[in-house]
Amino acid sequence: MLVKLIEMIEKNAETMAGELKSRLQTDPATPSLQTLDDRVLYEDIFEVYSRLGYWLLKDAEKGEVPVHYSAIGAQRFREGFPLHQVVHALVATKRHIWDTILEKGIMRTAKELDSAVDFITYLNRFFDMAIYYTTLGYYRALNLKSAS
Amino acid sequence: MLSKKIIQLIEANALQLSNEIQQRLLIHPSTTSYRDIDEKTLHDWIYDVCSRFSYWLNEDRARGEVEQHYRNLGKERFKKDFELPQVISALYLTKRRLWEFMAASRQADSALNLNQIVEASFLLVRFFDHAVLHVTEGYEEMLQIEHGYEASLSKPEQLAQALEAKRQREELVYEEPKLPTLCFTKGMIRLG
Repeated sequence: MLVKLIEMIEKNAETMAGELKSRLQTDPATPSLQTLDDRVLYEDIFEVYSRLGYWLLKDAEKGEVPVHYSAIGAQRFREGFPLHQVVHALVATKRHIWDTILEKGIMRTAKELDSAVDFITYLNRFFDMAIYYTTLGYYRALNLKSAS
Repeated sequence: MLSKKIIQLIEANALQLSNEIQQRLLIHPSTTSYRDIDEKTLHDWIYDVCSRFSYWLNEDRARGEVEQHYRNLGKERFKKDFELPQVISALYLTKRRLWEFMAASRQADSALNLNQIVEASFLLVRFFDHAVLHVTEGYEEMLQIEHGYEASLSKPEQLAQALEAKRQREELVYEEPKLPTLCFTKGMIRLG
């Protein structure tokens, strides 16, 4: 059932990435994201949704998650994005997954709800680490720049 | 509200949970700065979240008081030389322990109990999302005040320039292809 929830997001990745891209581009809380090329913003979101199982089932504290998200944090610093808007975008990426699951109404039986509790654990563990390492990458790049 | 029972359970166990979270913050490698805080102050801060959990999870507070409280926390941590990732990690370690506690109360065959946990998780996640976001805003505000650092895309004129540059890039991509002109000369087709 956990796999079913993950697969449902992966199958809807294209539509979901399009929806979130449009939302972020018009959200007054994230004006800087409007400067990203449509394709770049779409692909950044699509990368998470289309391979959600890959990201969620990894050990988020080791390996690729720290490396990938620290690099994104440093890159967003160089590009001049305010950190809180980057964090806002990651939170919105997570929230859209949860909203989609609620919308599809696939949490009715005890078995489905039990899997949802596992899903919440994996989803939050991944996004907490993604936000933490993005912040770390951004913060380190900021310090390096001030020192130079 | 379904989640009320779970939230009350956290409040009833606030002291034990606060002690456990405090220990985690003191030994975790991503929150080393918290070892310099007076133990009572640290404990009181965590206890305030756990013992008044329903107060903090209230939706209206999520917009007003939570924003102000965590913005101020971000500013305060900056003044005390904490690194922002450490402050965020402390919030996530707190959230994780609270979620473990909620999830541990699950009865796999009870839809009502599981619904309570899922609903409580939504409130927990929303609260910590707001907390992390506003701590970051407060910290960035201090970076600007104390170090004059402001992300370039925060400045209206640079944001406008970046938007204009994007518009120009898009114009290049979407430019209509120029087709050759057709000229008719005595029954022949010549490309102009």
